[in-house]
Amino acid sequence: MRNLKLLLAFCFAIVTASSEARTTRKVTQGRTSVGIKDTSLRQQLSNALALAQSGQYQPAAQALFNLVKRPEVQSERPQIKYILGKMLVAMGYSQVAAYQFVDVIRSDSNKYLKKSIEELSIVADSLGDDTLLNYAVSKVDVNDFPDKNKDMIYFRIGEIKLKNKNFEDAVQAFNRVNVGSPYNNQALYLKALAYLELKKPDPAVSIFQQLLEHRKGSGATDTNRVSALIGIARALYQKQDWDSSIEAYSVVPRDSFYWHDALFEQSWAMLRGARFRSALSNFQSLHSAYYEDFYIPESLLLRAIVYLYICKYDEMEKVLSLYNSIYEPVRLKISQFINSNPEPANFYMEFEKVIGAKQKDNNTTYKIPYMVLRSIREEGDVKRSLSYLKRVQDEKNKIETSGSFRVSGLGQYSIRVLNTRIKNTKILIGEMVKVHLQNMNDELKDLSEQASFINYERLSSKKDSAKKKIAGKDLPQMIDSGVDREFYVQNGYEFYPFKGEFWLDEVGNYHYLGTQSCE
Amino acid sequence: MKNTFICLAAVILLSTTVFAKELIQLPLEELARESVSPVFDINDSVRNRNIVTQKKYEGSVFYGWSLTEPIANVSKIGLSGYYHPSEDDAYGLMFIKNFSGVSYYAKQLFDQYKLDFTRAPSPEASLFFDYNLKAFYGKMSLSKNTVTNYHFFGSLAGGIIKYSHKTYPAIATGLGQKFYFNKKLSFRFDFRIFLNQAPIPFLKCEPGKHEGIKNSTADSCNEPAPKFSDFDERFTITSVIDLGISYLF
Repeated sequence: MRNLKLLLAFCFAIVTASSEARTTRKVTQGRTSVGIKDTSLRQQLSNALALAQSGQYQPAAQALFNLVKRPEVQSERPQIKYILGKMLVAMGYSQVAAYQFVDVIRSDSNKYLKKSIEELSIVADSLGDDTLLNYAVSKVDVNDFPDKNKDMIYFRIGEIKLKNKNFEDAVQAFNRVNVGSPYNNQALYLKALAYLELKKPDPAVSIFQQLLEHRKGSGATDTNRVSALIGIARALYQKQDWDSSIEAYSVVPRDSFYWHDALFEQSWAMLRGARFRSALSNFQSLHSAYYEDFYIPESLLLRAIVYLYICKYDEMEKVLSLYNSIYEPVRLKISQFINSNPEPANFYMEFEKVIGAKQKDNNTTYKIPYMVLRSIREEGDVKRSLSYLKRVQDEKNKIETSGSFRVSGLGQYSIRVLNTRIKNTKILIGEMVKVHLQNMNDELKDLSEQASFINYERLSSKKDSAKKKIAGKDLPQMIDSGVDREFYVQNGYEFYPFKGEFWLDEVGNYHYLGTQSCE
Repeated sequence: MKNTFICLAAVILLSTTVFAKELIQLPLEELARESVSPVFDINDSVRNRNIVTQKKYEGSVFYGWSLTEPIANVSKIGLSGYYHPSEDDAYGLMFIKNFSGVSYYAKQLFDQYKLDFTRAPSPEASLFFDYNLKAFYGKMSLSKNTVTNYHFFGSLAGGIIKYSHKTYPAIATGLGQKFYFNKKLSFRFDFRIFLNQAPIPFLKCEPGKHEGIKNSTADSCNEPAPKFSDFDERFTITSVIDLGISYLF
């Protein structure tokens, strides 16, 4: 089945390229008689187009590449480059093709400008190259775009507006993406996000519900469906409807990757909704051994705050000391790395250690803690750039294993182009990593201060409690006062840190059974 | 039935289950709604194990009971030592010493028919190299007061069985389970099937040559006991249950 699809896709690519080559041939032949005076050059162009027509893209592209460098075809260069770009797209070399379209756009050729912008938009969209997309979208006139690609261009415009914090315009752009378009689900999600940025949670909730409705027939863990579910919960949290938000978070499927975020965010909603016991239940999962590689410093402080509310000062002390033992060294390492490495390439080199890694490698020396690098790897911008980098590397590998094309002039040019793209993308990712690390460093500084405040509150409250005890107002008898601590530890009930084992099927099912110790 | 009821009642009465003075109501939305597990980069079923066997040695003593042995003594006692290179497998040596004498069934045959099987060769000791594949690690709670961890494993062993007169190569395959009393000590249960060449203890009386089972009452078998080499051999399958105590070092 998969082979059949590939075959169909291949046939489609060939047919598209052939028909395009046929049309362009007519155009070229018409113009060559006028533009190219040299008969041999005209003959070379005709031969190249004939090769393309017969499906021999590789020699055709090579012939066009040789031709385009000739000064005699100066006036025909945009046309030839455009055809070359189309041919490279058909051959599956999108990144190299994009360069041809960019050259045509820069040449300001009236005839091929719009076509090249259109092609560049499509190619950049498929590659996920933000730089090229921004460039193409900045040049585009939507009215000139064929209807079939308008959804894509409106979606990308919306994305750029959202990134530039121009939320009203982003909503307008996303509104123009048609229902049924492959971009519609993402457009709905981003439109709802724009509403949340505009502090309008009600329309955001209804848009998320619309997205949920669209994905009704899909599986429980469908990415768009789960995004809509967590989006609803976040919107309700923004609306300060704590109970509804908690309920919405609990609907997020446990076997989706978003569930971990949902669990942590739900704990915040529980704290805000004064459901301390419930929040502590979640922390038992979040602070289990399964999350030892997760960067979630805030969760430890949140747990300490909950303990403060229920006057569990000893537990609070343990949590705060755990925070200090884990995250203070992390902060120091990040700070040292930022100060001693000014170059983005160094950041990429360090980050490269976790690309594709599923767990911490004990044989690797990490200058930045694994949990930090892992967290950065999950950031949207980094993920997107990594995906783009992989596409470019795949294209390079394809050329390198293509035999004769690899050694041809066009092949060598393509490798040079792709190497430059790979190098620049790595630098770009390095810069992203640096920015994220700086943000984490700032965040950890802030959280360390908060940890100190929380500790101060702990000591102060503990002192008050001791005073009351001395004054004879002893604490009430607890439900567990006659039971050995070990009993709870082995069953995973109350005390922190839990000493026992964690089972995958129990994560998310823990319930805190202690009660508050306040008078 | 009555005894079972009394036992159950005793367990309930003697149980030290804690009854909370304060009833905690768990909101419905917090209770498990799905039977699926969370997704992690590495979805290992357990972390922070109570029982860690990796890179540890283990010693066991056990009692073996041969289920399908008709003639020789069905009891044996053994010692074994294992090394656990990982949480998934272990290998080691197992020495088994058979009890002398014959089985209860063989004694009955002697009492009723005067068939003396003490004259037949019987297994004396065995030495095996044993490999264990720890397929499952789990936990269970019987009384809700204690949690017991367990290992369920498959075993494959190869070695030798020494009979009174000869030593035979043998292989054994089986299943086993260990229930841990604490992080070191466990009760070990093994069921094994041994496959080996072994002497047939049944030998007909051949007047003038040696004494054996009488063909008829007219037979006179007062000659000396047969030599062990007179017994034929055949491929033998024996199933054995081992019960023992293991300790992790």
